[in-house]
Amino acid sequence: MRKTVAIATLLVAAGCSGTSSSGSAASSALTVFAASSLTAAFERIGSDFAAANPGITVTFNFGSSTDLASQIQSEGTADVFASASGTAMDAVASDPGVADRTDFATNRLVIVTPPDDPAGISSIADLAKPGVQLVLAAKGVPVGDYARRALTSAGLLSAAMQNVVSNEDDDASVVAKITTGEADAGIVYASDVATAGNTVRSVTIPTAVNVVASYPIAVVAGSPQTEAAMSFLNEVIGVTGQATLKDSGFGPAA
Amino acid sequence: MRARLPLVIVALASLGATFVLLPVVALFVRAPWSRLAGALSGVGASTALRLSIEVSLAATTISVAVGVPLAWVLARGEFPGRSLLRAAVVLPIVLPPVVGGVGLLVALGRSGVVGRWLHDALGIQLTFTTAGAVVATTFVSMPLVVLATEAGLRGLDLRYERAAAAMGGSPWYVFRRVTLPMVAPQLAAGAVLTWARALGEFGATITFAGNLAGRTQTMPLAVFEARQIDPGGAIVLSLILVVVSVSVLVALGGRLTGLR
Repeated sequence: MRKTVAIATLLVAAGCSGTSSSGSAASSALTVFAASSLTAAFERIGSDFAAANPGITVTFNFGSSTDLASQIQSEGTADVFASASGTAMDAVASDPGVADRTDFATNRLVIVTPPDDPAGISSIADLAKPGVQLVLAAKGVPVGDYARRALTSAGLLSAAMQNVVSNEDDDASVVAKITTGEADAGIVYASDVATAGNTVRSVTIPTAVNVVASYPIAVVAGSPQTEAAMSFLNEVIGVTGQATLKDSGFGPAA
Repeated sequence: MRARLPLVIVALASLGATFVLLPVVALFVRAPWSRLAGALSGVGASTALRLSIEVSLAATTISVAVGVPLAWVLARGEFPGRSLLRAAVVLPIVLPPVVGGVGLLVALGRSGVVGRWLHDALGIQLTFTTAGAVVATTFVSMPLVVLATEAGLRGLDLRYERAAAAMGGSPWYVFRRVTLPMVAPQLAAGAVLTWARALGEFGATITFAGNLAGRTQTMPLAVFEARQIDPGGAIVLSLILVVVSVSVLVALGGRLTGLR
């Protein structure tokens, strides 16, 4: 009998793994789903917003825009959606629908390397050098798709893909592989470099081949608190919000 | 003389069983049956499945090879700090796997405490390699075989081993020919649980070894990546994992798992 219990416990323990996400739903709480690249900027905007609107508490759910879009479609718990790609926003716009959609920021791609630059990366062409350990975000993740598009424009895609050692879930995971010194180079957003500070070294990608991501924000249809959602959206596109976004490495909306 | 089960217990048991089965049933309901073949080839299922089987078997082999001696030391050794060692051995079960992955990264990564030396002196890099996936998987799954084997060793009647030793058997001979056969059922049960845990390992692997098809992308990682591009493909991959796991567990049955 005791043995049976012990093994049952082991079975339960064996099943514990994976990731989770949550969105709380208190009545005066605003739930904002935002691309993970917005984490630092939106947390600051959120506290500015909370200071100006003591009646509203803002809860953020940060993740890959594609994941967030499908969570909104299946769970419908978001009041505001801020996406790193038009495609993810399009999905939410078709189901369950959005209101007041507007582009609020842009983000350029940059190359990041560990501070000591073990592979000697000084341009995008160096990413195709044999033996460089390159980390990208996976296909389907906006920053991963943009990185592949930039490499294609530079005529480096097939050579660079030979160097890819890992396809990460989002830009933050790419940065983590660089700050720990495991990989030689990665392609992420300029905003990631602003967040990572001196734990990474960055190399610019020429404008001619760079991809500029446009970030749309909108109120999600069915939100029970449209007014609060609208005022958060206005905070983001307002003077303070835009200044915070600029500090965080974002460009103005195109 | 069959005892009737109290209704309350039957009701709660049904609730428990439904809870466990519901997600699996839902996967079957929502699977894109009409385009199953396309979904299968589209998401690289066979590559991921082969890698998953290789990695989980390698991790189980290593876990048994070092985990059984570890269980023996924990069960029979008399030394200060033994309970501390046991707690440390069990730790990977309790830790979120991603924490294990971060720990492995700072220990065995290219610029980690030991990994730096491995890389600079021997030219060995574990991150982004299949070997790295095996290391991460072993870290997370080994405690299961250690715990099961230790429990088995503690339940043994010591007189058999003493008798064998009294008749002149060397400690190694006694361990091999007396102790090990007697503890075989618990060891096997532990090995099956270790394998099952290894097959499902996700967090430590993606954190430490990364995610690359054919090298470190096991089935759970393939499911995770497919979600982004092809949710239907993610369901197909999940179902394959369910079918493989259930087939093996049922085939091994009560006999090997010790659950009679």
